[in-house]
Amino acid sequence: MTDRSIAGVGAYAPADRISAEEFTEALGTFGGTGIRQKAVPGVDEDSLTMAAEAATIALETTAVDAGDVDGLLLATTTPPMDEEDPTPRLASMLGLDRSVETELQTGSTLAGVDALTSALERTDDTATLVVASDAPRGAPDSAIEHAAGAGAVALVLAADGSAPVVDRATASEPYPGTRFRPHGSGETTSLDATAYERSSFSETLGDAADGVDVDGIDAAAVQAPNGKLPYRAAGALGVETDDIQRCATVHDLGDVGAASALLSFAAAVDDGAERVLIAGYGSGASATALVVENDGVETTLETDADGDDLSYARYLRRRGELTSGEPDGGGAYVSVPTWKRSIPQRHRLEAGVCPDCGVLSFPPDGACDGCGGLVEYEPIRLPGTGTVEAVTTIQQGGAPPEFVEQQARDGAFQSAVVAFDGPGGETVSVPAQVIGSVEVGDHVEATIRRIYEQEDVIRYGFKVRPR
Amino acid sequence: MTEAYVIGAGQTPFGAFADESYRSLFQRAYESALESTDGTIDSDDVDEAVIGTLGVGGRQLGLSGPAVTEHVGLDGVPCTRVENACAAGGYAVRQAVQAVRSGMADLVVAGGFEVMTDMSGDLTKYWLGVSGETEWERLTGTTFAGVYAQMASAYMDRYDVDTEPFSRVAVKNHANGAKNPNAHLGFTCSLEDAEGGAPVADPLNLYHCCPTSDGAAVALVASEAFLEDYDGDRIRVAGVGASSDPVGLADRDTYTAIPASERAAEAAYEMADVGPAEIDFAEVHDCFAIAEVLAYEDLGLCERGEAPTLLENGTTDLDGDLPVNPSGGLKSKGHPIGATGTGQVAEVFKQLTGNAGERQLDDPRRGLTHNVGGSGGAAVVHVFEREVAE
Repeated sequence: MTDRSIAGVGAYAPADRISAEEFTEALGTFGGTGIRQKAVPGVDEDSLTMAAEAATIALETTAVDAGDVDGLLLATTTPPMDEEDPTPRLASMLGLDRSVETELQTGSTLAGVDALTSALERTDDTATLVVASDAPRGAPDSAIEHAAGAGAVALVLAADGSAPVVDRATASEPYPGTRFRPHGSGETTSLDATAYERSSFSETLGDAADGVDVDGIDAAAVQAPNGKLPYRAAGALGVETDDIQRCATVHDLGDVGAASALLSFAAAVDDGAERVLIAGYGSGASATALVVENDGVETTLETDADGDDLSYARYLRRRGELTSGEPDGGGAYVSVPTWKRSIPQRHRLEAGVCPDCGVLSFPPDGACDGCGGLVEYEPIRLPGTGTVEAVTTIQQGGAPPEFVEQQARDGAFQSAVVAFDGPGGETVSVPAQVIGSVEVGDHVEATIRRIYEQEDVIRYGFKVRPR
Repeated sequence: MTEAYVIGAGQTPFGAFADESYRSLFQRAYESALESTDGTIDSDDVDEAVIGTLGVGGRQLGLSGPAVTEHVGLDGVPCTRVENACAAGGYAVRQAVQAVRSGMADLVVAGGFEVMTDMSGDLTKYWLGVSGETEWERLTGTTFAGVYAQMASAYMDRYDVDTEPFSRVAVKNHANGAKNPNAHLGFTCSLEDAEGGAPVADPLNLYHCCPTSDGAAVALVASEAFLEDYDGDRIRVAGVGASSDPVGLADRDTYTAIPASERAAEAAYEMADVGPAEIDFAEVHDCFAIAEVLAYEDLGLCERGEAPTLLENGTTDLDGDLPVNPSGGLKSKGHPIGATGTGQVAEVFKQLTGNAGERQLDDPRRGLTHNVGGSGGAAVVHVFEREVAE
């Protein structure tokens, strides 16, 4: 087996929700069986930004230094691009070392549990970061779309963690057509052959669970494509439905795809469960069962529904079903190579200290803001907290073209000048888009979001939100 | 060193002119400037041309200066295009003055033009942000209105005022523009109208923002030697000042002032050997209402934080002690970017030579122009003086 164990867990879910009733009212039906409400990503959120949120929380929770992370595994069925590895950007956002070994697990909802089992084999790492993040999508009239939620979970693995994986088993059986996304499609679908899908789910999960000792399980973190299917598999898994319900996140977050079983695991250990079955399932079909003994693993879950309750119309607008994308045109173009040069600032708020006068500059190029010298700055990562110095709300129709689609989907937004905190009480002023609403004098913190997309390339960077 | 004089100036109406090209607009402005000299000047007298334009909407072409000067028959006249965003025109005047004062030219055409209303909505969105700080400021999703609105938010926070001073700028400038046949938005509005405008970038609403306009304006700048054989009207360029600052707001030392304006004004006053108290009226850069509020303070027309009082007590009204923007300013007269600075000079020329029609001020002697590029990355100030017999 392995000497690795789970040292800490962080979880993140978008703050906004839509209720099942909103769907029923709008469509006369709701296909997300057993789901009360689900998390809806912000217009500037995706699997990568949520992964960065969860991973940041996990690192803070465990007080593991980013420089000590040797392995980074990201699991999602919805990577931002069909082809292009998102893990270098995630590593950059987290400030991991350039030598960190990264791995992307995708292609099925089992990817999250697969990433954990892969990470357990990384025995030479000081610390390993496993991040599962997902925001599935389906056709607007499909059960998959109705159930599709959003969320992310990150596990820090180390030799001295307090939650070892004590047992594990895997099973697979060919079951084509139960849940799939064809080439070139952004929408996951299924043949909707209900009995066939149920047997795929219960059979493979049951076979995997047969290979582990489920005695004494007090919580079962089971893959949850909706709010009913995991309970139907309780018998095959050899657990009680109460064990599943104890840590189920699907009822309030929806189907979180590759993050599903691990997010429920996070809820289980956060609730003090001592022996947890993790039961991951992916269409195709394969399943993995893990048994974790928890001796007080550190957890921080930022998954509360403290945002807006969306109407169905606003939900469709947010999803981009009613908008037409970036306008045509030209002018004031920022090339991708230009953007790439600024990534240390965009991802990590890397400022510069003048070696001559000590004044902080952001971005750290050109003449020093303090002494005017053309110097080689000493890089310094700002903590990301600051105070609003000036702010405006860009009203509908008034956004630059890069932000027209965002505004069409989500309405007016704020742009501010923020005095970011630096060392020794010094600050440096930087413009930033605001998530939510602030006033002059408010305290804010930076987080990673999609800034805009142009030429099919997504630009990620920091925004600020109230603190 | 020779003095420089403006001996003629003219402009097209500012507005939306679907049947005009940038060349035809420039031609009309040039002809208007020649007419202001009573036909005593023609193209053969011109030694040099300096043309301000940003070139929005696909007209950001190489050689757009010669493209307009050759079009009007300034054959072979050396021409340079000046681009300093919305201050392009003011800087063209400054370059013309420098050419005259250096002795290299005796008569210089300082012109500007812009065509902004013939683009699709999509192209307009792309072009209107080109003069801000692109990589950081614009990519927070802000626009010019947004950056000025940020300044407004900081001003309101610092001086504990609401939006009423901004609305008073709109009321005053529309009242003046209604008397100007060249104004783009020559209608009047009430304080209630201006306070209730549709929000653009909070705290600024539509009444706090100038329009985008088509238009051209030309000033003729001459040397003392040229005036030996010239009997027409002239106003002396008493002072010139200009300054630059970081293009992005966050990089500046203050958000409740435009330091480039302050420095430009100090230099212009020093050259003219006058102070703000000796200015009879001013054409200031009110692209957004907060910009006029800041201009009063940057130009030394009042103390910091006192601009709202000037507006409230009518000091800067057309019949006040210190009229500001008798033309209607950018707010009402319009803002064809490259033509705005030369258009301000055209207004000052008219006022100081008694040709301002219904909005003519009572025998003014000194007028000031203040032209800002972007949100304060460049500023240029001129003091003009009607010489009177001692």
